[in-house]
Formats: sequence, structure tokens, C-alpha cells
Amino acid sequence: MGELIRLEGIVKSFDDTNVLNGIDLSVDENEFVTLLGPSGCGKTTTLRIIAGFEKPDQGRVYFEGKDITDLPANQRPVNTVFQNYALFPHMTVGENIAFSLRVRNKSEDEIKKKVADALKLVNLKGFENRRIDQLSGGQQQRIAMARAIVNEPRVLLLDEPLGALDLKLRQEMEYELVRLKKELGITFIYITHDQEEALTMSDKVVVMNEGYIQQEGTPQEIYDEPVNAFVADFIGDSNIVSGEMVDEKVVRIDGVDYPCIDGTKEGFPPRRRVDVVIRPEDIDIVPYGEGLWNGTIVSKLFIGVHYEMLVQSEHGKIEWLLQNYDQHDVGEKIGMYVDPENIQIMHKPKSEAESAMELDI
Amino acid sequence: MLFLYLPILTLIVLSFNETKSMSVWGGFSLKWYEELFHSRLMMGAIVNTFSIAILAALIATVVGTMAVLGMAAMKPRTQNILLGFNNIPMLNADIVTGIALMLFFLMLGAPRGYMTILFSHATFCIPYVILSVRPRVNKNTDRLFEAALDLGASERYAFRKIVLPELKPGIMSGFLLSFTMSVDDFIITYFTRGAGINTISTLIYSEVKIGIRPSLFALSSIIFVVALVVLLAVNIRNDRIEKAEMIRPAL
Repeated sequence: MGELIRLEGIVKSFDDTNVLNGIDLSVDENEFVTLLGPSGCGKTTTLRIIAGFEKPDQGRVYFEGKDITDLPANQRPVNTVFQNYALFPHMTVGENIAFSLRVRNKSEDEIKKKVADALKLVNLKGFENRRIDQLSGGQQQRIAMARAIVNEPRVLLLDEPLGALDLKLRQEMEYELVRLKKELGITFIYITHDQEEALTMSDKVVVMNEGYIQQEGTPQEIYDEPVNAFVADFIGDSNIVSGEMVDEKVVRIDGVDYPCIDGTKEGFPPRRRVDVVIRPEDIDIVPYGEGLWNGTIVSKLFIGVHYEMLVQSEHGKIEWLLQNYDQHDVGEKIGMYVDPENIQIMHKPKSEAESAMELDI
Repeated sequence: MLFLYLPILTLIVLSFNETKSMSVWGGFSLKWYEELFHSRLMMGAIVNTFSIAILAALIATVVGTMAVLGMAAMKPRTQNILLGFNNIPMLNADIVTGIALMLFFLMLGAPRGYMTILFSHATFCIPYVILSVRPRVNKNTDRLFEAALDLGASERYAFRKIVLPELKPGIMSGFLLSFTMSVDDFIITYFTRGAGINTISTLIYSEVKIGIRPSLFALSSIIFVVALVVLLAVNIRNDRIEKAEMIRPAL
């Protein structure tokens, strides 16, 4: 698996607004890469630069080592599944899918066969003569996929393709996409703001915020070892708290000392102020006084599989978020324990982009 | 309704009147229709009216559509300013437009006649075309255009196969609007025409001064009936299409 696409130092701004501030990204052949971030983080612009709809102000785009920065969109070996599908409304399903083949003057026999194959691939056999406005959202989504893959592109760009579908359909389509990717054996670059989609489908997740790449890695790495508060906050629920290293591999949070696995070697010497992430499912509930710290349950919510609780620490001010399968009552005093491995130490944010997002409520 | 249609009915009845009188029924006759078709003056006016309307609508549609596409590439602010300018001629009184155009032609020393009427009509129709085509050029058309490029189409191919069909309803309504505006116009034609050339409206106006002939009733009746038939035909066709669409999804 060699490198297929490389972005080098991509900078882009629209009317004085910096959208991308130096993006370096490498995508391997046959990889499923997801660009993940909140709206306005620059992920769509990155995709449009790869597709050839936007020119970067600075930086180059390479495809198999060749510089394609100035190559127009219609000559690039990439196809896009657009956010709102952009199906041609005055054409039938068959004509939509055949479009890229007609452009290339393929014979009618070949077109007919390829269109039928593409429809079969997306499980919509025999839909050739339907009109676009007769299709449901999910079907339109599949047709957009079929249209994009019928000409066998090297790379498929997907711009929030599941954004307009309801939850059940979305989960179904996630499996479909992974299956399609396997059958086609091509590279997928996928854009979403939904962390669950990103973690479920990708080989590599690229978390972006405010025009910077915050972290790149496998879904596990991103989830278990977020590098800063933004990533930790954006990927799943978490307790992000302030702390201070008090000793080699000991961090003090809210008046309690916790053993952890990071120390000077990892860049966190004693007396350093740090951010700490503890995932709510990693906090175990133990009998009062038997854990590392104690607290009182102040609220409880049943969310399908587990209970979500807020626990007021009795050592300081922090309210901890816990997820647990067992039921405990509000007002109950409990002890809490967390494995040293599950305490993720991070550097304090150096910029706004690295901080956890403020929720506008 | 009665007040709208009663005068028209009167007009049609009078066009079949044997006598010239507007108050005495002299018996059924087609003689005014005969006179109409034998009058070079009137036939000339009819040909002028409709040929100017078709040509002016064509010119205005092409120019207006190109203007819309050009505007789409501009910044939103510039677009808004241009749109503001576009609206002024529509709100402006016809008489001002008419006199202004007349002065303009006088200044250029252009001989006033068929061409000046055509030019004027095309001019005052362009804003209407812009107004009806512009809503069709939006984010969605941009996206479809990009999708076509993404699938390998050249810009020209993408425009012809994807963008134009999207604009078609707007272009069609712009054309029809221009056509009716041009047929309907009297004031601007009156000021920009030269001696010896007439459209239906200016001809009627000059006839009124010397006493109106019932052959004009005949002409008006024909125009009314043609408009009615066209309207009915369009409605019936739309009905059929709608019904066809109601049935189709069930298949």
C-alpha cells in the first residue's frame, strides 16, 4: 500500500477568513480516511481542494507523486459523493449514472452494462428508468454513490453523505459503505462531523479544528489517547479536568493524587500544569472509602445500555461524569477508582483551536 | 367577473354587426373580418407587432440570461447593486422610458422605425428576463455544475447538459413575459416609432382619432380568442402531465 495523495502545507482563506492554516496530510492507497471536525473546521474545503474545486493559496497537492494542484476537476481521477447528492433532476436514474460514461464517449452497450452493474452494487437493481424525485433520501444517496463509482475512480470523496438520513438508515449505510469499499478496493476520503461514523468506519481518523489538523491516528488511538482537550471533547464523552504533576507518574486533580503512566519521559515533568482526560466508562464504582476518591451521586439518567451519573467529589469542586451498567441511587455516597492506564495526561492548550469547544446554549 | 368579461363580449358581438353603428344591430356579418384581412395597413401592423415581439423577446432572453450568468460570478454585494439597477426600469413610468429612448435615438441620429422599436422593446424586456431567470441560478445549480465537472465533463458540456436544462423554466417564462410585454406595449412604441410604421396598439390609437372602424373589433376579437385557446391548451396539457405523474409512482 503506497501513498496515493499527499497534501503539503495547504493554506486557504476566503475574504480574509483563514480556513486552512497549513494542512499536511498523506492518504495511502486503499485507505479509508475520515476528516472529522465541527462545522467550519476546514474539512470540506480540504476535500474541495482534493477534488479540484478550490485552488489553495499556498501548498501543493500530489497524486501518486505527481503535482496536480493546477489540474482542473474534470481531469482528476477522483469522484465525489456530494452532501446533498447533487443528482441531475431532469435526468432519470440511469442517465445520471451514465453521465460520466457518456462524457467519455463509451459505447451504448458498455454504458448499459456498467449502469446495471453499478445499480446492482448499491442494491437498486432495475431502477434505471425511475425519476430522481420518485426516490427516497436513502435511495438518492445510493444513486449518488453509483454515479460516483461507475467510472472506477481511484479515490472516492464523500462529503457528509449520510448527514441527511435518519439514524437507523445511517447505521445501515455505514455497513454498506464499508462493504462497498471492500468490493471496490478503492481509497475513500470521508468527511463527517459525527464522531461515531468516523470511529466505526475509518482506518485513519484526522481530527480538524479551525483550519489545523489536531490529531491523526487509528480510531483507537484517537479515542484512547487524545492529544489535547479539543480532541478528547470532540470524540465521545469525557471528563476533562485541570491537574498538576506532583511527582514522577503522579498527577494531582482537585486535591487528590492519582497514579498515572506518564512522566518526565513523556514530556510531563513534576510541577507541570496539565489537562487530564478520564473517560466516564473508565471510572469504576467501589464501596465508599475503598477507592481513590469519594463522592455523592447528584443525578442519574438511563440511556439505553447504561446509566449516566454526575458525581460530586467530596474533596473538591469537580462533578465527575460516570457511565455504569449498575444502578445506583441519587444521594448515594460512593467510592471511585480509575486504572492508571486510563488517565490520559495532555498538554494545556496553546491556542483556542486546541481547547474544548464552548457549547452555545 | 361580469365587469371584466361583459365589455369583451360586447366587442365580439359588435365585430359581427352588419352596420358600423355601435348601438344598432344590423344583422350578422363577417364583412369586418373580410376588411381586416384585406387591409394592408392592419395586416402590416399585425405582422410588425408579432415579429417585433418575437425578436425582442428572443434578444432579451439571450442577453438577460447571459447577464444572469455573468452576475452569478460576481460578489454578492455587486450583484445586489446590479439587481437594484435592474429593478429601476421596471418601476419607472413607461412614458419616461419612452421619451428617454426617443431622445437617445434623436441624439444618435438613428432613423426611427422598425429597428428602433425592436431595440427599445428588447431593452425594456431584459429586466423581466433577468428577474425570471435569476432565481434559477443558485447554490443548487452551482453544485450540479460542479458534480458534472467532477464526473469528467468539460465546462461547456456541463453547461449545455446540466445548467441550461435547469434554467429552462426560467428562460421560458422570461421569454413569454417579454413577448406579452412587447405585444402589450403602446407608450414606448409610440415614442420610438417613425412615421409610416405601426403596431396594433399605435394603429388603434390613430384610428380612434378619425373614428374607429369595426374591423378593429374583429382584430381584437381574434386576439382574445387566440389567447383563450392557448391558455386552455396549456392548462389541459398541464393537467395531463399531472395526472400522468400521479399514476406513475404506483407502477
